[in-house]
Amino acid sequence: MDLSQYAELFLAESREHLSACNHLLLQWERQPSNPEPVGGIFRAVHTVKGMAATMGYARVADLAHRMENLLDRLRHGNKPPTADVLQLLFRSTDLLEKTIDLAVAGHERQVDVSGLVGELDAAAKRMAGTPSARGGGEKAAKSVAAKAAVDDATQEGRLVSVVLRAEAQLKGGRALLVLRRAEGLGGVTHVSPPVAAFESDEFDGRFSFRLDSPAPGEAIERQLAGAGDVERVTVAGAEAVATRTEATTTERSRHIRVDLRRLDALMNLIGELVTARGRLNELATAMRDPAVDDVAISVSRLTGELQAEIIQARMTPVWQVFDRYPRVVRDLAQQLEKQVALRVEGKEIELDRAILDELNDPLVHLLRNAVDHGIESPAERKRRGKRPEGEVVLGAVRERASVAISIADDGRGIDRSKILEKAKREGMVDAHLEALSDDQLLRVIARPGFSTAHAVTNVSGRGVGIDVAMTKIRSLGGTIEIQTELGRGTTFVLRLPVTLAIVRALIAAVGGERYALPLTYVSETVEFGAVPITTVEGREAMVLRDRVVPLVHLRDLLGAQGGVPSPRRPVVVLQMGERRTGVVVDGMLGQQEIVVKGFDAPQGTLPVFSGATIMGDGIPALILDAGGLV
Amino acid sequence: MSHSVLVCDDAIFMRTMISDILAQAGFEIVGEAETGAQAVEKYRQLKPDLVTMDIVMPDMGGIDAVREIVKNDPDAKILMCSAMGQQALVVEAIQAGAKDFVVKPFQPSRVLEAVQRVLG
Repeated sequence: MDLSQYAELFLAESREHLSACNHLLLQWERQPSNPEPVGGIFRAVHTVKGMAATMGYARVADLAHRMENLLDRLRHGNKPPTADVLQLLFRSTDLLEKTIDLAVAGHERQVDVSGLVGELDAAAKRMAGTPSARGGGEKAAKSVAAKAAVDDATQEGRLVSVVLRAEAQLKGGRALLVLRRAEGLGGVTHVSPPVAAFESDEFDGRFSFRLDSPAPGEAIERQLAGAGDVERVTVAGAEAVATRTEATTTERSRHIRVDLRRLDALMNLIGELVTARGRLNELATAMRDPAVDDVAISVSRLTGELQAEIIQARMTPVWQVFDRYPRVVRDLAQQLEKQVALRVEGKEIELDRAILDELNDPLVHLLRNAVDHGIESPAERKRRGKRPEGEVVLGAVRERASVAISIADDGRGIDRSKILEKAKREGMVDAHLEALSDDQLLRVIARPGFSTAHAVTNVSGRGVGIDVAMTKIRSLGGTIEIQTELGRGTTFVLRLPVTLAIVRALIAAVGGERYALPLTYVSETVEFGAVPITTVEGREAMVLRDRVVPLVHLRDLLGAQGGVPSPRRPVVVLQMGERRTGVVVDGMLGQQEIVVKGFDAPQGTLPVFSGATIMGDGIPALILDAGGLV
Repeated sequence: MSHSVLVCDDAIFMRTMISDILAQAGFEIVGEAETGAQAVEKYRQLKPDLVTMDIVMPDMGGIDAVREIVKNDPDAKILMCSAMGQQALVVEAIQAGAKDFVVKPFQPSRVLEAVQRVLG
């Protein structure tokens, strides 16, 4: 049998188990007296061992086997593990990961596991005094599993899963109508998510419940599908109800792993289709032929659905990247002799895989900064009346068209006055400036090499990496904000578009050319001349609801000659964090979806473009970078 | 025999549009109401086969009108007309006894589908 086709799957699944391992080890380290995590670690290592043996990866299997031995002793000895033993398990997990990677790449022999194997055996031997009750343990586990299966089978009714159409509106209302129909057939229990969740806009149209009804599965499916906007109804058969394990197996078999490059290729094709759709719509409008109109409308709809599907397929929950960070933070904290706990929130929030992959470096930078420069030493924290253990919270929240990721530490914060002093000395800010706003502070510390001087010892290194992180986030179409309070901590907030490939944009005309402004950063449009104009620090600005918003005339900025600006020119207000800028354009051509194409700016191009797109008529237009303008 | 319909919405524009869609499909518009209170009153008088009900109306909103109508006639067939983003209100309306809903802006085909479901 050719096993190579399973290598990818083995790798992916092993990583999940190793991630679980790391996670549980961290939990155990925090509370060694609580033996709860050891069972999970044992199972993860055991599963990896079995898979590796099947794949013929002898060293992986051997290392996992020795770990398992030690874990088994720990599981049944009633003593909490020593710090040395935990450290040994951490190191073994790391080596296991490395060995797995190399084994899959065909270089298992490059790894020497004998050293750690010796240490693991020695540690297991030291614990040999404690009796092993392995057989009994297995038996107990089995009977628990059996009991769970019985519980499950005696639960009333069959499991019914419903998926609403992606394009269905007000999915919660629709879901409730499906439930009403189900109630007409029999008793409905165990609704998941609970009905209260239907009222939320976050509800994604997937839900399940148990239905106690004598009706045949097909009749149930037909009746429920009649509620409208139903994509799929699945009624579990009696055999699927029998055990929970089988139910999860059927659930799992609906997923397949797809090479990300395939999705990228598909996305590119759909991008071209979206462009062609725009062209078709323009032609249809010009032709005024109802038959052509009909075709154009259905092509539009189908393209839209295709696009939504593919974007959904690319969505990946952030935990896939976040999961490694507790370990990163723990290792760094240990190295710096600090106590830091990382709390992760919003794990299930989804982002385009391509964005998520790019986020790793900036996030690690910011986490390291938080631990290294934000969190104080335990002694210093005690002096300041704080708990000795610092906390870093990494959170993800879905906003309208973006995801906000925050990294918040409860450390010492940044001393604005020191930064201001230094920024003035270096001529980076006006010499008369009295205080730095959050935005100004970020700009100053993000200057490459800013904080290398000794004068700002308590924030030394703050700038290192922030410029790199900022550039990366900007290139992803995102923004960074900072909030900091001396003595209380610092928070960085990264805002990222949910997907990179296709965005809605305002199309503006300037000098006879078209430019796209991504809607993510457009807060409103106003008419030039309809609002009072003033001058602030030599810059033209407008007064919008008592706030001064600086203006940029795109005609001047781009040196545009052609076209005639309308006397009632629109001003597009771009907003990034608390900063706003009004961009004066010649005219507005409407809103549309644009496919973002990468863009290598020619030498000498103004740094205000983030990419390019092809308009419906086949002529390219440049995409304005809100970050460069605001 | 064609089904009779009572159209409830505070906007003439919306009432006209719904009436047109339904009349073209062969329904008989027997009455219109501009407020929730009127809807309850006209339902009692006219006993229509179907009611289309806007959610937000002055003088007793659509959801309270649904409650009131269903209290007297549990079989009342009421179709809610909602706007995007009114998820929680739609859920509330269905809990109050509405049979289905359509979302503005209306597409005639979707309105008729929903009407068929309610009457079917």
